Amino acid sequence: MIDKIVLRTFTEKLGKTTLRGVEELGYSIALLVESFYWLLFGFRRRQAVKLPPIFAQMMHIGIQALPIVTILAFAIGMMLAIQGIATLKTFGAESQVVLGIALSVTREFSPLIIGILVAGRSGSALAARIGTMQIAQEIDALRVIGISPVRYLVTPAMVAMLIMLPSLTFFADLVALLGGGVYSSLELGMSLQAYADRTIEVLKVEDITQGLYKSLVFAVIITLVSFVNGFSVTAGAEGVGKATTRSVVLSITYIIIADMVFTFFLTH
Amino acid sequence: MTNQTETQASAAIKVEDLVTHYGSTRILDHVNMQVNTGEIMVIMGGSGSGKSTLLRYMLGLHQATSGSIKLLGHDITKISSQEMDDLRKNMGVSFQGGALFNSMTVGQNVCLPLHEHTTLDENTIQIMGRMKLSVVNLGGFDDLMPAQLSGGMIKRAALARAIVMDPKLLFFDEPSAGLDPVAAAELDDLILRIRKALNTTIVVVTHDLDSTFRIADRITVLDKGKILMIGTVEEVRNSDNERIQSLLNREARHVEINADEYLKELTGQKE
Amino acid sequence: MNNNSDSPVKFEIDDEQGYLVVRFEGEIDLYGTPHAREVILNCIKSKRNTVIDLSAVSYIDSSGVASLVEGYQLAKNDKLEFGLVNISDAVLSVLQLAHLDKVFTIHASLDERIQAS
Repeated sequence: MIDKIVLRTFTEKLGKTTLRGVEELGYSIALLVESFYWLLFGFRRRQAVKLPPIFAQMMHIGIQALPIVTILAFAIGMMLAIQGIATLKTFGAESQVVLGIALSVTREFSPLIIGILVAGRSGSALAARIGTMQIAQEIDALRVIGISPVRYLVTPAMVAMLIMLPSLTFFADLVALLGGGVYSSLELGMSLQAYADRTIEVLKVEDITQGLYKSLVFAVIITLVSFVNGFSVTAGAEGVGKATTRSVVLSITYIIIADMVFTFFLTH
Repeated sequence: MTNQTETQASAAIKVEDLVTHYGSTRILDHVNMQVNTGEIMVIMGGSGSGKSTLLRYMLGLHQATSGSIKLLGHDITKISSQEMDDLRKNMGVSFQGGALFNSMTVGQNVCLPLHEHTTLDENTIQIMGRMKLSVVNLGGFDDLMPAQLSGGMIKRAALARAIVMDPKLLFFDEPSAGLDPVAAAELDDLILRIRKALNTTIVVVTHDLDSTFRIADRITVLDKGKILMIGTVEEVRNSDNERIQSLLNREARHVEINADEYLKELTGQKE
Repeated sequence: MNNNSDSPVKFEIDDEQGYLVVRFEGEIDLYGTPHAREVILNCIKSKRNTVIDLSAVSYIDSSGVASLVEGYQLAKNDKLEFGLVNISDAVLSVLQLAHLDKVFTIHASLDERIQAS
């Protein structure tokens, strides 16, 4: 009897979770389509997407993140150099470390680290802001004034993310390569100039664009997950907290899964 | 017959046979009501009566299961979202907590509908915003942030934003909630002044009886999603309906217990 | 100055006893205001004492009232006279709502205004 109840609760929970997942996926796709609809055709309905909110979001997502991005990217570059040199030493192939750093930074580490950082910094801020607006009925207020919340809130954030994530990723590429170079030159006695020449020699444009494409996908994931969670807040301040946490955890999870899928197809 | 066409002509809001659900629970059950142009209609009822739900459907925030809601002659259950946006320029809403945008100053909040919907000169917009703030006795407060205002001031600022486009329809959700009696009475006065000056059709959802009797032309009493009665203040006061009398006398509701259902509910076997 | 036939607001300007008298006609609402505003501001810019006659205005919304306020302030800055005459009860109640009946000088007619001053 007890087993039966436990089983029933379990299947019910599983069913509900699946249902919520499917619902959220559908909602996300609708949000994605609608946010681009307003971007492209908003002016036709006299609801053009305005620039100031886009710039405001770009400041928060991108410019204000520069110091932390610099520190993280530099540390990652160094970390890769330390690991690379230590591992390659066993084969006596330390000089190949440049290739290792260059490829793993541009293809993998920069977009991933930027994705995770922005999900934590800006995705959470978005979810909290939208959740707070939702419980204060500010979203309803927008709708009754005749302002589409998607046009007014989602589209600017989406555009800002799509611009700033690749920009930050490219910036992180440069700083991480520098970090790797600084350690390599100290450890292997090669000059920074030689390191830079070698990096340019081994890096192909595709390596960099691959990372940038990934960051575009991450930008969409972070925006949609944050807004879906923000918009679905119902129960007070506690709800906002939960939605914020949930959106960060989900964003990072989806980013890593998407990264894996992406990498699989790009290396095949 | 003539009489009927007359009432139809003056109907600013007409709700016909409205049925709504939340999930699988029926919230509103065949609701019929009409608000005439220039009238103040108060919708009252206990908590869970469906009065706030009725308001949200009138505002076009949800899709009804069946029935129609006509605002200024347009059936909002059928029109396109673009037509709805145009209609919204004639509607003002004052939400329970004010719903001012926290990231903007009071002045920016009030002027937002003008910036979004009109091509008026910036000077004109600024003057209009300050005029509306002065209507609600908040002249000179335009540069403050909402967080710097008291509860009563926030409600009045929200009212200024609601009337900035000179709407034909004005909706209030619990205007007196969270206000002290003096601030609540001031807000009632404002509602009456606005109606007098602009002949606005006003719908107020509230459970505050004092406020209801001060401002209402007619009252709609909702109970468990159904309309108990619609009538003037006198008619409602003199009604011999038991539920209405207990609402007016603020009596606690009798808990009705259906033994079978209750047992199922307690054991979790209820569908 | 002529009527602009495209605009929903019609007006006539007469030079009477030292005043420019602007008689608006029709509805001064969100669509009519930009034009009405231009007319009012042009009168002030020509450095003339101005009187607005609203007897033929069936409806004026707050955007129209805002333009009157703007005109009045500009006139005051230039030490010019600016007044309203012939306003209907409906217009008066709109002005009263924003406490503007205490701001504008309002008279029944131009003659009354001249006598008062």
